[in-house]
Amino acid sequence: MHHNGSPNRILVIGGGFSGLTAGIEAAETGAEVIIVEKNPYLGGRVAQLNKYFPKICPPLCGLEINFRRIKVNPLINFYTMAEVESISGTPGDYTLKIKLNPRYVNENCTACNACTEACPVERDSDFNFGLNKTKAIYLPFEQAFPLRYVVDRNKCPKDCPAPCVDACKYNAIDLNMQAETINLNVNSIIVATGWKPYDAQKIDNLGFGKVKNVVTNMMFERIASKNGPTGGQIIRPSDGKPVEKVAFVQCAGSRDENHLPFCSYICCLASLKHTLYIKEQNPDAEVYIFYIDIRTPGRYEKFFNQVKEQSGVNLIKGKVASIEQDAESDDVVVVAENILNGEKIKQKVDMVVLATGMQPEGLEFKVPGLKYAVDGFVIDAEGIYSAGCAKNPMDVAGCGKDSTGAALKAIQIGVRR
Amino acid sequence: MDKPVKPDLQFAKEIIKAGGESLKKCYQCSTCTVVCQLSPDKAPFPRKEMLYAQWGMKEKLFNNPDIWLCHHCGDCTAYCPRGAKPGEVLGAVRKLMIQHYSPPKFLAKWVADPKYLLLLFLFPLLLFLGELAILGYFSGTEIPRGEGGVMAYSAFLPAVPWIDVPFMAIAAFAVICFYLGVKKYWLDLTAGVELKRKDIYNCIYETIKDILLHKKFQFCTSNKGRYSAHMLVLYAFIGLAITTGIAAFYEWVLHWPSPYPQTNIVKIIGNTSGIALLIGMFLVIVNRAKNSAQQGIGSYFDWFLITVIFGVGITGFMAQILRLAEVETLGYASYIVHLVFVFVLFAYAPHSKMAHMVYRATAMVFSKAAMREENIKKEEAA
Repeated sequence: MHHNGSPNRILVIGGGFSGLTAGIEAAETGAEVIIVEKNPYLGGRVAQLNKYFPKICPPLCGLEINFRRIKVNPLINFYTMAEVESISGTPGDYTLKIKLNPRYVNENCTACNACTEACPVERDSDFNFGLNKTKAIYLPFEQAFPLRYVVDRNKCPKDCPAPCVDACKYNAIDLNMQAETINLNVNSIIVATGWKPYDAQKIDNLGFGKVKNVVTNMMFERIASKNGPTGGQIIRPSDGKPVEKVAFVQCAGSRDENHLPFCSYICCLASLKHTLYIKEQNPDAEVYIFYIDIRTPGRYEKFFNQVKEQSGVNLIKGKVASIEQDAESDDVVVVAENILNGEKIKQKVDMVVLATGMQPEGLEFKVPGLKYAVDGFVIDAEGIYSAGCAKNPMDVAGCGKDSTGAALKAIQIGVRR
Repeated sequence: MDKPVKPDLQFAKEIIKAGGESLKKCYQCSTCTVVCQLSPDKAPFPRKEMLYAQWGMKEKLFNNPDIWLCHHCGDCTAYCPRGAKPGEVLGAVRKLMIQHYSPPKFLAKWVADPKYLLLLFLFPLLLFLGELAILGYFSGTEIPRGEGGVMAYSAFLPAVPWIDVPFMAIAAFAVICFYLGVKKYWLDLTAGVELKRKDIYNCIYETIKDILLHKKFQFCTSNKGRYSAHMLVLYAFIGLAITTGIAAFYEWVLHWPSPYPQTNIVKIIGNTSGIALLIGMFLVIVNRAKNSAQQGIGSYFDWFLITVIFGVGITGFMAQILRLAEVETLGYASYIVHLVFVFVLFAYAPHSKMAHMVYRATAMVFSKAAMREENIKKEEAA
């Protein structure tokens, strides 16, 4: 509540770690916050991680705390499966149209899984990057918030007798649910639309999608996750063989004017973290990290040194620019020049992890009414503030700090009015 | 401890001026070296050459067969994450290398500098115009006709001495320049290196075979068109060389002056080769235009040679067609311009991009003798 009596209202676009932080921080100062999330769940990319920095702990525990702060705070409202259709107005007085896409499952859902058991069709799990399947009616992941099923209506066959509806004892499924549009008035907007992994298929010399057992770093997070497609066992996709030799390809699409022209900030740290995942399951595993420069900014240097000192961690200066299937097996051969001795190295490994970078959502998916730089990052304006990776590639801790700052800027707009 | 490296920034600037503008963009990731299909496993290129170029390490660049083992496919440039265009940089280094090795130095400088373009053409033009003046064509002497009264360039400008003398002189000049250049290059290449193979003649034979089959070009992935275009031009030149040989035989042994009937073997080989040359050069230009965004359009040095070869072909056909059509003034003029282009092509061959055939072949022989490309040979076999 501010001086003239009407509430200070802030819209947050994006319900990932940055959006949640900005929204909760603002709400805890007394602002009224609406969070709009495109996915059927909150938590964004962080929810897909096995462990995260700086403590290398499971992120669901950090997310749980935030979900709890939302649940107990009546000033926070959120919409999942929602998109901003338009923004008009001026700082202090914005009008937005929000499209709410149908979930086909209402709040009666108890997540009992009876519908999924009845459902006859499967789809690729987008949460697990296609590494496994879900039914057309599914729970995005075990600890999803809100804990409610969702229907991928595009995958429902036209003549499906809808056994899910019969299976549901709580009357929670409504396959005729329609999209609706709502209008919102707010004082300021926080843009926390985040990022998506760069499409590795565009890097045509790295074999993704053509060579077996070439995965991206985000896929690797899912492979290593207890709630992931392999139950957290680090095995390779083609034949389930536990991996003994893994190559990491740094700057896969980052720092590259043909792809993402910037450094994605987190990929070196991610590969070092992935090395720990591997070493934890198989201390004898050999890890090969091919890099241009290892970038572990600031105090992360210490983490780099810790990982580097482990046995079986091979750091090779030289970018991998060719990846081929081994002629006789599902193994993969990566080729680079070892710059320090000036010889080409052809390393045969069980699995390759491409350290793909962060493509800001704004590169392909622009919120109408916002300004973007050519590389897809959001440009701030008075009353509209970016937070986290919508602004710049950054780590989760950085996102937390940046989002807190964005919250303050947004609060000021409503108070100043 | 190794001696500290002394950068020669002046030479780095020369490379930049010679067409390697992008060289400082390189951040040494070595994508280029891996995507290059011609690069050997040990001390591969062009990543190290980019470093040498940035530091201006002239000797490391010149005494190195690798700048010539590069065939400028452009795969490196296409995949370079920084737009550093290694292919273009190596092209610029090759140009400076030609200037360094081919005597006389001033001529190499002139060929590489657009300022001297007119002068380079003016010299042969004045030479041939001078011949025409001596023959009195500018002072009223009627241009004689050939046998049967047809228009004949051999009557207009008899081969002996007006053509054969200047062309044999420039051929001798080019051969001497090439000999001195290659000798110096070979000595630099082999300084302190023990050649693993002693059968140099076999190495030369294998190199010629590689060139005739265009083996290296087949490895290019991002610019496949170059293989056929360059092959066509090479065989056109071989055809034209055969044509010249037969014509010399007719002239000197049979004492049969031109023109020859269109159905004579010399005309058939000549015209076929001429058409192949024009098509090949047309494809060269089309390929360059098509790939310019990815690879760069090329430098003045490249275009000098392209223009001269194209000019030789076009003026050759013009002179022939105008002769057959009995268009006198324009026909004789085309013939003179044709001679000027041929002169420019041969007299400056050691200093223009034409020199690539000799220096690249030398580097290829050396790399065979030094067994530089063992792994590539294995891949070829597999």
